[in-house]
Amino acid sequence: MNCEAARPQLEAYLDGELDRSSVDALEGHLATCAACRGELASLEELRTALRALPAHHAPADLRARLAAVADLPVVGMPRSAPRTTVWRMAAAVSSGIAAGVLLTIGASQWNGAGRGASGDGALLARDLLASHLRALAASSAVDVVSEDRHTVKPWFAGKIGVSPPVVDLQAEDFPLLGGRIDYVADQRTAVIVYGHRKHVIDVFMAPGAAHARASESQGHALTPCVLAGQSAWIVSDIDADSLRRFRSLLGCGA
Amino acid sequence: MPPRASAPLDVGLVRDLTLPHLDSAYNLARWLMGSPQDASDAVHTAFLRAARYVHTYAGGNARAWWLSIVRNCCLATLAARRPRDVSLDDMEADSAAALVATAPDEPEEKLHLAQSAARVLQHLERLPREYREVLVLREIEDASYREIGAILSVPIGTVMSRLARARQMMRKALNAPAGAET
Repeated sequence: MNCEAARPQLEAYLDGELDRSSVDALEGHLATCAACRGELASLEELRTALRALPAHHAPADLRARLAAVADLPVVGMPRSAPRTTVWRMAAAVSSGIAAGVLLTIGASQWNGAGRGASGDGALLARDLLASHLRALAASSAVDVVSEDRHTVKPWFAGKIGVSPPVVDLQAEDFPLLGGRIDYVADQRTAVIVYGHRKHVIDVFMAPGAAHARASESQGHALTPCVLAGQSAWIVSDIDADSLRRFRSLLGCGA
Repeated sequence: MPPRASAPLDVGLVRDLTLPHLDSAYNLARWLMGSPQDASDAVHTAFLRAARYVHTYAGGNARAWWLSIVRNCCLATLAARRPRDVSLDDMEADSAAALVATAPDEPEEKLHLAQSAARVLQHLERLPREYREVLVLREIEDASYREIGAILSVPIGTVMSRLARARQMMRKALNAPAGAET
């Protein structure tokens, strides 16, 4: 390697963005070239100077302002059940009122069944996706970590009195990661978590799957299925073929 | 911007996504906006926007998603302000110049040390925004090229060329004799 080839790579090297073989070649050149070492030293000097600048930390009053926002009554995933349940109920009541108003304006045949199935479906889909994304963003997607279905199943039974179907698909490259409990459509819901390569697959034991259709949102497929006679939803961003395989391994009814 | 029925605030999720990166958000906003108050306001606005559009988060890097919202809020405020206010860069350069000018009679060696941090600050604040932001994200926030590309919505090649130009400008400015650049 000569200087002409080395110079453009110095910054990527400094930034840790150079691949292994290029690093070896560049370091070989650096060992013999004082001029390029000097250039690298100058870049490092700039880095040191910039990192020595006083850091700007978010001030306490900004944190307080955001905390105030976070306490607004909202339709969302409750963080702690008792207080937020009240908010959710309030939100449900107000949206019910809004739906009623709309139906009245439309002078349509409201049969007393409440909001239409599509509205509930959208709400459910949003809850499923929000729960999935939140779990991905958290440090761990599971509350109980276990590769053993005989640990996960009783854990749910002890927590919410349900015993969801949990299968061992380790050999099929869908290892069981564990389980968690989340709120979906106002209900505490068992979520069985499987992995596939680097992806996470959530299986929600949530209602409404029987007559629902698969949908997709922001690259995540929401797939309804019936597992051991129970309504369930699979949420993941794995590719369609893997998803199909996973469904059949799980024993999904249509 | 009033909340729409189709996109309600989902504050629980947005807190999980944004609050771990609040210092990064504030730091970026501070470097873009110039003043602490403007930076706080921009982050506050960004938080509300993130809550309202949390459904656009498609998994992956939450910090990049969040910082891109913060940056967009900053740029929107700056764009709205531009016609009637003095350029932000001019204001910053003035205040930084005042900072540098505070110790004129020190012995030379001590002067050099005392001025170096102030000079770095001054020159960073003076860099055009597109060079300042890549340098802040890379050197202060330790973001990867990929992450910076996601925050700015530009290809990685653009990140690299801007970063190279920003470093070149900074080194040139810092190596020039003090005072020569004003």
